[in-house]
Amino acid sequence: MTRRTLLRLLGMLGLAGTSGTLVSPQGAEAQQLGAHEDVQDGLKRLFGSRPLKDGAGAIKLDVAAIAENGALVPLTVEVGAPMAASGYVKHVYIVADRNRIPIIARATLIPESGQALVGATVRLGETGDVRAIAELSDGTLLQVKREVKVTISGCGS
Amino acid sequence: MRELSGVMADVGKVRIRIPTSIKAGDVVRVRTLVIHPMERVERDKQGRIVPKNYHYITRVVATYRGKTVMAIDTTQGVSENPTFTFAFRATEPGQLRVTFHDTHGGMYEGTADVRFS
Repeated sequence: MTRRTLLRLLGMLGLAGTSGTLVSPQGAEAQQLGAHEDVQDGLKRLFGSRPLKDGAGAIKLDVAAIAENGALVPLTVEVGAPMAASGYVKHVYIVADRNRIPIIARATLIPESGQALVGATVRLGETGDVRAIAELSDGTLLQVKREVKVTISGCGS
Repeated sequence: MRELSGVMADVGKVRIRIPTSIKAGDVVRVRTLVIHPMERVERDKQGRIVPKNYHYITRVVATYRGKTVMAIDTTQGVSENPTFTFAFRATEPGQLRVTFHDTHGGMYEGTADVRFS
């Protein structure tokens, strides 16, 4: 199956993704964001073979260690990097390793965002790692992981 | 069913919360909520995905004084009636606008006025 037919198929399933009107990120934008895939395939699809460096010193991923209700899990990502024209956090990705659609969201930021802060209420299908990945304007990828125990599944897609 | 339709009527209702006291140059934290079903993938007894045009938000765009300061591409992994948090630097008084786009062509928006105290 070629990529085109795959995308068309997914489109028919109503899984078509971004409408990409502005601040178009490179590369990944051409593809839809969410797909039924293994997390490793998803990361490869988004980042190719670029290394994900340990971002423990820069990224604060705020999420409860135990999610009573997987259908509604509040999560906040804060990246302690400057937001200047010379260097800033361009994207923040939220990924749940055990979800059937592991790539949950991608935020696009600019220096005027002032601070790399992204929060969302997400669904988690089952207990597993949640990742926050920051893509800097120079292309560096930083990630942190936190395990979240899910009591009731959010059928997190 | 009546209850359900009552909920549906609220789809697209947007709430935006910004701090009451903002000074020029502040990095402002925004919380925004939209009423939306964010339909999940359904499967039949064989575990196959039921093909249909699932109704969920795919993009959230925040503009301040007409300039996009943040956008989020979203999938069905985002919760029903989702809340999003983000920041922007308030340089001048003006309007903050948040727009939500969904898979059924829906476009919902809310605004907040940024005033300096």
